[in-house]
Amino acid sequence: MRSDSGLSVGQRFRQLRETRFGAFVPVMLALIAIWIYFGIAEPAFLSPRNFYFLFMQSAVVGTLAVGITLVLLLGDIDLSAAATAGVCAAVLAVLIVMGIPGPLACLAAMLTGIILGFVQGWLVAYVGIPSFVVTLAGLLGFQGLMLKILGAQGAVNMRDPFVRSLTTVSLPPMLGWAVAIVCIVVFAVVVLRRQSQRRQRGVELESALALWGQIGFFALILLAVVMTLNSYKGVPLLVILLVGLTALLGWITTSTPFGRSLYAVGGNAESARRVGMNVNYIRIAAFAIVGLMAAVAGILGASRYASVSFNAFAGGPLLLEAIGAAVIGGTSLFGGRGSVWNAILGALVIGSLGNGLDLSGASAADKLMFSGAILLLAVAIDALSRAGSTQQR
Amino acid sequence: MSSTAAVVGHQSPPAHLQVTGIGKSFGGVEALREVDFEVARGEVMALVGDNGAGKSTLMKVLAGAIAADQGSFRMDGEPVSVATPLDATALGIQIVYQDLALCENLDVSANLSLGAEPLKPGWTFLPRFLRPIDEIEMEVKAKAAIDRLQVRTLRSVRAKVGGLSGGQRQAIAIARAVGAESSVVLLDEPTAALGVAQTRQVLDVVKRLRDTGHAVVYISHNLRDIFEVADRICVLRHGANVATWRTSDTTPDEIVVAMTRGLEEGSDDAI
Ligand SMILES: Nc1ncnc2c1ncn2[C@@H]1O[C@H](COP(=O)(O)OP(=O)(O)OP(=O)(O)O)[C@@H](O)[C@H]1O
Ligand SMILES: [Mg+2]
Repeated sequence: MRSDSGLSVGQRFRQLRETRFGAFVPVMLALIAIWIYFGIAEPAFLSPRNFYFLFMQSAVVGTLAVGITLVLLLGDIDLSAAATAGVCAAVLAVLIVMGIPGPLACLAAMLTGIILGFVQGWLVAYVGIPSFVVTLAGLLGFQGLMLKILGAQGAVNMRDPFVRSLTTVSLPPMLGWAVAIVCIVVFAVVVLRRQSQRRQRGVELESALALWGQIGFFALILLAVVMTLNSYKGVPLLVILLVGLTALLGWITTSTPFGRSLYAVGGNAESARRVGMNVNYIRIAAFAIVGLMAAVAGILGASRYASVSFNAFAGGPLLLEAIGAAVIGGTSLFGGRGSVWNAILGALVIGSLGNGLDLSGASAADKLMFSGAILLLAVAIDALSRAGSTQQR
Repeated sequence: MSSTAAVVGHQSPPAHLQVTGIGKSFGGVEALREVDFEVARGEVMALVGDNGAGKSTLMKVLAGAIAADQGSFRMDGEPVSVATPLDATALGIQIVYQDLALCENLDVSANLSLGAEPLKPGWTFLPRFLRPIDEIEMEVKAKAAIDRLQVRTLRSVRAKVGGLSGGQRQAIAIARAVGAESSVVLLDEPTAALGVAQTRQVLDVVKRLRDTGHAVVYISHNLRDIFEVADRICVLRHGANVATWRTSDTTPDEIVVAMTRGLEEGSDDAI
């Protein structure tokens, strides 16, 4: 290893991005910049109450974005995710109106999502239709399906206490702190144990700075979030659910052979095939997982708006925000690069923009143009920072 | 080439991997026509031919990456079927593809274990593809494989392959094939992107594989390298066999003629 003294800022930035947590940096910076800007322009933006609503608002987009990240990793796209969420929410609503208990109806909605994703994945993998076309057809078809299920009025109220509780319950402050501290301890133990195992086996170690930086950073963020939320209503159950789901998918994508194969197929599908990976199964599984995440998003949406309406899911804004969130998070549209955690940050960026512009009384026109500009900026930063490190893509 | 096969029988070591009558068409292009090929343990079989002669296609067929339209496989005399890459791996066939088949978005150690990631012990309640990968074991193996090839310029096994030079990538592809358990190693132009010193390393690796009882197939356009390492040389032309020579019984000129014009009238040196 040579010393780092002679490196330019650009090189340092690139080095940083190559590390395990480096991919967070650009989104993180963007998020902080947005918060500072709106914090100055509109002090109410930084109030605990507003953050609480920010997290709640971003949850549905975040859930969808996390799911979509999986197919983006493959180099595919899912344009039907929001419509799938709509169909699943409609199934949920209708089942509950029929008197089926909430938890059971949620399972049925999730199963619906998995089936819709599976069918689309099968069409992409085995029939060989580009995912763009399959899911565009899905987008149209599922919106129609949703209308059919909801019936003529196009909206059903959601009064089921179980479903409502998903987005209305918050943890008592003490429990919030306890969860945060347990998470920090577990994180620290995992990181430190990995380091000691690396030392034992004599492989490259992470620098002490990176090691403690990770732990400190994680602890700082978690404690800050819990403190902010506790000074309003407490940590929402929704946030715990979303973070838990993301952690699970994050672990699957980075640490298991299945996750590795997602990246491999996205990087070079032919190579993946030649080392014996079943590319078709992997595609179908990824689409099925998006379907499942879309169903979860549908359930959360139904719970949050206390109703299932055509307009909440159809039309496009939800889908575009979800894809935008994944891309702003740094997930490549060409496949092979990205992470589910970044999708959450991307969703917060989009949510913060919407929320901040609302607070400062911006018009719908301003909001749309602003979001477009941010999306473009994020992709441009990504393209530029990559141009230096690899030649292609 | 039935006469060739008959002679090979008593002059050469018994074939470890043997294919006969391999045919493969891509649409209208007949890439391979009734090709016979064999390689024994402890020998280096060179495969030469002009561009488009069908060398890479034959290697992909042997590695299960493409399925032949017709033809049969034998391993130590037993009929086997190689329809998928997993079949080939299970039979101990490893390959360095001409296009390397690396994933540029993954790091060196991930590429070296691709498709065969070492898993942490335990976790048996999960299906295999959802068990945690043992990253440390993976890096240890990667380091060992890289060190064996002495790729001195490679700084870290955690570097992304997309940021490496062509030669470093080639070294990684070779390390992947050589590092795995195998009895047959197929090398499709492994030195095309390598410098003089690295080419020497690869030739040494090839000799070492031969000395450890592997069956090695070596494709190259560099006849000097071929005459240095190969025990036998098989020439393909327009997707068909020309003949197979014992290296000691032939000359580069004769091979060049066979590659470009086929077998000359009156040439009887082919075994
Ligand atoms: N996937 C494919 N689709 C269509 N044609 C192919 C394909 N792969 C190979 N071919 C054709 O098969 C023939 C043999 O190709 P192959 O790659 O085996 O040649 P080669 O001997 O390896 O040549 P080189 O020395 O240039 O590597 C060529 O005519 C080529 O155009
Ligand atoms: Mg070739």
